[in-house]
Amino acid sequence: MKRAFLGELEEVVLLTVAVLAEEAYAVTVAQELDRKAGRAVGFSTVHTTLQRLEEKGYLSSEMGGATAERGGRRKRFFRVTAFGRKALREAKEAREALWNAMSPETLQLMGI
Amino acid sequence: MNSKPDKNQDPADPAEPPRWAARLLARWSQPDAREELQGDMLEMYAYWLESLGKPAADRKYALAALRLMRPFARPKRANDYSETYSFSAAMIQNYFKIAFRNLLKSKTFSAINVLGLALGMACSLMIMLWIRDELAVDAFHANKDQLYRIYMREHFSGKVQGVIWTPGPLAEELKKSVPEIEMSTPYSWTNQQTFSVGSKIHKQATNWASADFFKMFSYKLLQGTAEGALRDRGNIAISRTMANAFFGSPEAAIGKAIRYDNRKEMTVSAVFENIGANSSLQFDCLMTWDAYIDDNSWATHWSNTDPLTFFKLRKDADPAKVEAKMLHLLDKTNRDGSKPYKTQLAMQPFHEYYLNSNIKDAKMDGGRIEYVRLFSFVAVFILLIACINFMNLATARSSRRAKEVGVRKVVGAMRSMLAGQFMGEALLIAGLSAILAVLLVALLLPAFNSLTSKQMALPYSEPKFWGIIGGLLVATGLLAGSYPALFLSSLNPVRILKGALKFDSSSVWVRQGLVVFQFALSVILIVGMIIIYRQVGFVQTKNLGFDRENLVYFPIEGELFNKFDLLKTQLTQIPGIKQVSHMTATPASNGNGTDGITWPGSNPNEQVRFTPVGVGYDFTKTMNLKMADGRDFSKDYPTDSSGVILNETAIKVMGLKNPVGREINWGTSKVRIVGVLKDFHFVSLHSAIRPLIAYLGARQPQGSVVIRIQAGKTPETLAAIGQVCKKLNPNVPFSYAFTDQEYARQYQSEQIVGKLAGYFASLAIFISCLGLFGLAAFTAEQRTKEIGVRKVLGASVAGIVGLLSKDFLKLVVMAIILASPVAWYIMKQWLQGFAYQIDIEWWMFALAGVIAVLIAVFTISFQSIKAAMVNPVRSLRSE
Repeated sequence: MKRAFLGELEEVVLLTVAVLAEEAYAVTVAQELDRKAGRAVGFSTVHTTLQRLEEKGYLSSEMGGATAERGGRRKRFFRVTAFGRKALREAKEAREALWNAMSPETLQLMGI
Repeated sequence: MNSKPDKNQDPADPAEPPRWAARLLARWSQPDAREELQGDMLEMYAYWLESLGKPAADRKYALAALRLMRPFARPKRANDYSETYSFSAAMIQNYFKIAFRNLLKSKTFSAINVLGLALGMACSLMIMLWIRDELAVDAFHANKDQLYRIYMREHFSGKVQGVIWTPGPLAEELKKSVPEIEMSTPYSWTNQQTFSVGSKIHKQATNWASADFFKMFSYKLLQGTAEGALRDRGNIAISRTMANAFFGSPEAAIGKAIRYDNRKEMTVSAVFENIGANSSLQFDCLMTWDAYIDDNSWATHWSNTDPLTFFKLRKDADPAKVEAKMLHLLDKTNRDGSKPYKTQLAMQPFHEYYLNSNIKDAKMDGGRIEYVRLFSFVAVFILLIACINFMNLATARSSRRAKEVGVRKVVGAMRSMLAGQFMGEALLIAGLSAILAVLLVALLLPAFNSLTSKQMALPYSEPKFWGIIGGLLVATGLLAGSYPALFLSSLNPVRILKGALKFDSSSVWVRQGLVVFQFALSVILIVGMIIIYRQVGFVQTKNLGFDRENLVYFPIEGELFNKFDLLKTQLTQIPGIKQVSHMTATPASNGNGTDGITWPGSNPNEQVRFTPVGVGYDFTKTMNLKMADGRDFSKDYPTDSSGVILNETAIKVMGLKNPVGREINWGTSKVRIVGVLKDFHFVSLHSAIRPLIAYLGARQPQGSVVIRIQAGKTPETLAAIGQVCKKLNPNVPFSYAFTDQEYARQYQSEQIVGKLAGYFASLAIFISCLGLFGLAAFTAEQRTKEIGVRKVLGASVAGIVGLLSKDFLKLVVMAIILASPVAWYIMKQWLQGFAYQIDIEWWMFALAGVIAVLIAVFTISFQSIKAAMVNPVRSLRSE
């Protein structure tokens, strides 16, 4: 299979889901992005991205049990699939390959 | 799934997202994600509230809700559990299941409901077919909306009288004087004439019309053209049957010669398709008006009236203007001459005549249309009675369904859903009934046809027919289901489920009211039936003033005009014949009229219309008429040729004392009264006896030969008469009529109506009783325990039957009391159509009441005796 292309936002969201592990659902992902990544991503964008990732097979989801704090409504928890993990690793590797390809002089020159 | 904006949220948190946005989310977000989205958004709202404050949180929430709208998204994931709503497949399945279970569980009640509704529908359907057939008469003409007929209004001494017969030259004059009138034709009255081709001799219904006739009316021509059919005075247009009878086929007939009345050769110029029952004009052949005038020159005079006149307007003509133009058309013709009255012309759309043929106050008004209206009401009545059955049984038996209603309401059924369910059940039953009704009609239609002498068929291929059945079904279902649906769905679940259902007084009142209404309708129909039967019977047995039994007549035609004396001599030699005479018109009906009679002291401004009749010698003896004064015409008095005999009514109208021997004027000639006849009915009892003037027509006998024959020898006497006629008049087939039969035919429509009323009344009573039967069965069932206790305490069977019947009888009696005045009023109106009416007497209502009560008692007692006979041990055994 051809390597799937991960968009930048998709990658960040996928990473955040991985970070949150068991507690990943739309709200936590949105809040995590807000707090940790400092990115003001709208909730609707997060929701849509999660859905798209699930459609592409990077995420799987499952309804949680009934809750008391949100009007009894259940949460949809997301989990990174094996395919999702592979995609993350590939993205990371591709990036690292680029970083590694950069000469130390260039790095120095750019002030990184 | 709770789809409403959240209200169960932590009550400590007063801040809620904007309601509209929450609703938007609940309604329009993607269905698969709707649940978690709403939850997530609530959490996010709390988060925003904390971090950004309420206005920003509201804004963010609203913005997100808007952006999450997916109005066209369909659910992709299968739901864990389906939502129930009243029209989901499962619920509909459930409705049907429950409906069928209920139908099967109580077979008697279902049968009563279905049978009652089916009978009601079948009856309405038949009446609709009949009405359709009535309305279709004369509606087939392509120019229907431009065709009119003329009638005249004669004004004299403040009174006005309508006449449908018009002067012969009128048709031509109309075309000349009124430009909007495109075509016109006179149309005489149809009578039997003799035609012959070679040795074939037949009598055919004959009429005369102008060349425009076939262009105006849409009678289908098999041979010949509408233009050429009646162009020449030697032309004749004949029907398919007539063509077949004389020539073998329509093709063979065209252009051939046919001998009319054994004196004229006519040429067949057209052959038309046999005229269907949907035409009010009926004829086997048509000849030209010119030919008619050749034989009847008097018809060219404005002062005589003979044919009907029809005309066709131009398409763009305004009928009101035409009517105004023709109003005084006759003034210039000097028709009224020195007579003191004015004749005006009026018009009526041609196709309306069939249903509106009565002339009231010189306007065409009423006629068969009244029967159409009457039966429409009857159809509605009977359907209503059947619907009431359904309503009554459904509500009475609602205690059976009450638990179901309670449970459905507890698990969340709304009132509208329940109403829909019960309405649907009513529609289901109506559907079953409709199927049964169509079958019934198909089965009964031949009998109905022979009763009404029509040829109706179920128009299966017409979508309109099925539309009407569907409409009938829906109307019946909705009507029958409305009250049960409203009533049952209104029940309070807590009360139903807690204990037994108690009907409040209002629902009992409605039910009893319905029974009263039902029986009132039945009683009206019974009274109607009794009165119609009595009136028709009265008319048929009323002493007419002459003996109509054993009175045979046949037309004077062919060579008989000249051979009457010979005929009479030969006839009187036949042993079965008592008397022979002749008269203009026939003994059963004489509708002629003459105006020109004056007498000393008569008021010139008050014309009295006399009915003239030319009679032969022995006329009074043949008819068995009684002389009130004077004598009959006799050969001993040669002056009798200028003598007349009047009837008592005439003498009364003229106000003459000692009339015999007085001279009066008839037109310009003087005539002498030789005798006075006791009144007798020479037309049907629809009209009062009119003044009659009989003159001696022995020199030129015209009209009919009237023969009094001996009772009990009819067949051989008729055969002998036939032989004599054949010998004397070989070119005319012998045809005769019995006066009593012809007389009875004038009441054909009353007889049919009487019979129909009888059937419908029986049907109405039957359906009402079905309902009563059901109600009685139900009451007996409900009171089983009560009856058991009463019996244990010593009540007798008779006592219990009385107890159970009393309640119902009260209702029936009330119905009789309410219905009687209504029935009286309706029937009084109907009787107005007869000049000689029976009196409406109290016993008619009593009889109707007794019939209703007896049938009701019979119906109820069946159930109540059954209930009363039950061994109380059985009814009290279990609690």
